[in-house]
Amino acid sequence: MTFQDAVKKSIKQFMDGKMPKNLMEVSGGEVKYTPEYFDGFKKAMEEEGDAPEVEETTDED
Amino acid sequence: MKIDAPVPGANLLADTRNYPWHRPPDITDYDEAVSYMISRISQEEQAELVYSLLQIDTTVTTVVSGLLMQSIAKGKIPIDLAILISGPVARYIEVIAQTNGYKYDMGTDTSDRVKITPTLLKMAMGIIEDDDEEEEMEATPEVVPAMPEGGLMGAPTDADKMTATDEEQASMLGMNADSEEPVEEENIDGMA
Repeated sequence: MTFQDAVKKSIKQFMDGKMPKNLMEVSGGEVKYTPEYFDGFKKAMEEEGDAPEVEETTDED
Repeated sequence: MKIDAPVPGANLLADTRNYPWHRPPDITDYDEAVSYMISRISQEEQAELVYSLLQIDTTVTTVVSGLLMQSIAKGKIPIDLAILISGPVARYIEVIAQTNGYKYDMGTDTSDRVKITPTLLKMAMGIIEDDDEEEEMEATPEVVPAMPEGGLMGAPTDADKMTATDEEQASMLGMNADSEEPVEEENIDGMA
């Protein structure tokens, strides 16, 4: 298995909502970047995108 | 002849700290590593590169593995941790691509994978060499010349029947009525 194959497999597992079992055991389940975190992040990004954009004002003097 | 090879045992004396990946990595924590990668991707220059790659049909998997390999080469993260954080990094890129309306391909589905060959790459890049054209010419079916007829070594034609007639065959097999049949030896001693 090449590095790219391993990366591909890891991405697929994460997208299926699976987290590395041993990592979770070692960290005691206190991991920030979980699939749930990114679901929330996506929601936040979408809400931010729906909000009216505020044009940046620059002082042109 | 110039020998440009290391002296036997040179590896035992070499300073292995010359390479970043020979030293202990800077980051060993999962969350810290993901934060580092996200901050890297969020940099303006890096973000432009990542999303430009996605625009030209580069898969997210390829982009992620490239970014991770850069970090491994710099000695920032170890290889095994890089594989572990590839999922969150890919998901982050996916979320950003979705919210910004970029088209992307995750590259995790292998069902419609097209096998990459040198010819396919050349076609994709618009490189057609003269050698390729010659190869194509060689690939055309070879025209087989007609069998030479006539002469001493020529193949027999339908006109030149090589098959013997029935009589000739019968005589060769000794079945001809005119052929001499072996005469049975007379019993000289008169014994039955």
